[in-house]
Amino acid sequence: MTNTLHRRGNREDLKRDYVIFVHTAKGKNREGAAPKIREFMRICRKYHPVNMGDVKQGSMHQDDIEIDRLIAGHEDGTVAAAVFTDLETLQKVVEELIRADLGICINISGLLDEVKECCRRAGITRHSAEHSLGIWGAKDRLPEREVMEFNTMCGHGMVSFNLIRRMIEQVRLRRMTPQQAARMMAKCCECGAFNPLRAETLLTRMREQGFLNSPRTNRD
Amino acid sequence: MRGALNLHAIRVGPTMDIDKTRCVGCGNCHIICTMGVISLDEEGKSVVNQDECVECATCYRVLRNENYPPWFVRSIRKVLSLFKLGYLADVDICPTGALTLPELVWPRVLRAQFSNPTVVHPGTGVPGRGTDEIKSNDVTGRLRTGEAGLVVEIGRPGLGAFFRDIEKVTIALAPLGPVFEPENPVTHLIADTTTGRMREGILDEKVLSAIIELKTDMEKIPAFLAALEKVQREIDTVVSVGVASRCLPDGTIPHEEWVQKAGYALSPNGKTNLGLGRPLFREDEP
Repeated sequence: MTNTLHRRGNREDLKRDYVIFVHTAKGKNREGAAPKIREFMRICRKYHPVNMGDVKQGSMHQDDIEIDRLIAGHEDGTVAAAVFTDLETLQKVVEELIRADLGICINISGLLDEVKECCRRAGITRHSAEHSLGIWGAKDRLPEREVMEFNTMCGHGMVSFNLIRRMIEQVRLRRMTPQQAARMMAKCCECGAFNPLRAETLLTRMREQGFLNSPRTNRD
Repeated sequence: MRGALNLHAIRVGPTMDIDKTRCVGCGNCHIICTMGVISLDEEGKSVVNQDECVECATCYRVLRNENYPPWFVRSIRKVLSLFKLGYLADVDICPTGALTLPELVWPRVLRAQFSNPTVVHPGTGVPGRGTDEIKSNDVTGRLRTGEAGLVVEIGRPGLGAFFRDIEKVTIALAPLGPVFEPENPVTHLIADTTTGRMREGILDEKVLSAIIELKTDMEKIPAFLAALEKVQREIDTVVSVGVASRCLPDGTIPHEEWVQKAGYALSPNGKTNLGLGRPLFREDEP
């Protein structure tokens, strides 16, 4: 789930983009973790995430994925994730997870100060934290900032630059709605970390304010 | 069609490929391809650039196999063209099921292990990019007080990387004496951690991205970032860099100070381990 570390976007957009996911460690809490991972996902599901999934089975936006079957299929080593779009709901999820005391490792990707505050209100102190230091190297080979904002929502890189451009084009030509285009991108993301609601918002904004206006070079 | 393999299309072969007898050149796989390395050949059939393909299998997984006979699709096209109309399949469809999933052999299998997130890394047992980072630090104590974790993901976002580029980075970092994470798929491919040299025979393999994962003392962060600053100019791809540490008892993040001292900006977003894993690691454990 380093794939959730490097999501790009302005602070306002990132405020509506939180990925909560579970992880286990071999020899520590992985063995026998499957029922706990399923319970984690059941708790997340109660709060209506915009996406959920696991990398072995796929995400809820894929054609033949049924959520009950997805949850039933989680195994001991599964890395399962759910995406929420507001801190208040995330707070409720965290509080319920604390009460459930599952003993599996739970992580959140999102604005660090907001997540810290969420932990404080839930009565816990965060254990470890990780920052992105951005993109280095041959940044001149990257596409426009807007394309990067879609692409980095699936850090495994399953949503190609070409697909993103095609979806933007389809919305521009009014052949697809922002919702349809966002869902198409979400289908490519295997682990369920892609935020289709944020993608839809970005596409709607583009339709209102113009498409791909930013420079190609992705400077930090 | 997810998970339902097209048995007629599978073959034991070295690379992701497109069955030319079935392909109707609709171009959907060109759009879905994460590396943008599928194109039309002179016969109007799609072809994969095998040097640049990273075997992520996204085309195979995402494109639903409609399984139409190729003659049927071509006939429809011909009829439509009489009325000056075109045939456009939905973007997530392969009308004829022309994509074939190979059984990869060493060293090409590395491409799938580092690029296809549904493949579990054989060395770590973790799918995705196969890393642990801080995700289970509450139970493993991998990063202790005073230690910093550095994750250097080469090829991300969206460009991919050859192992010859990845090796340049491991060679640049090795003299600083890092502890390369033993349970990491890239570490498993480093032949000598003191020099950063990788195993022979893999340097021409391309992956979607690979994560070098190491830990060091907090005060060495500036030196590592300086080394990365230098080597980034020598590679023809992008690198996503992350820094992690165990929080102090009041929740503050100790690596922030060292990154800022080195002159780098920290992202407002990142990853937080909530500390709910059990049994919780104690600092006095060996």
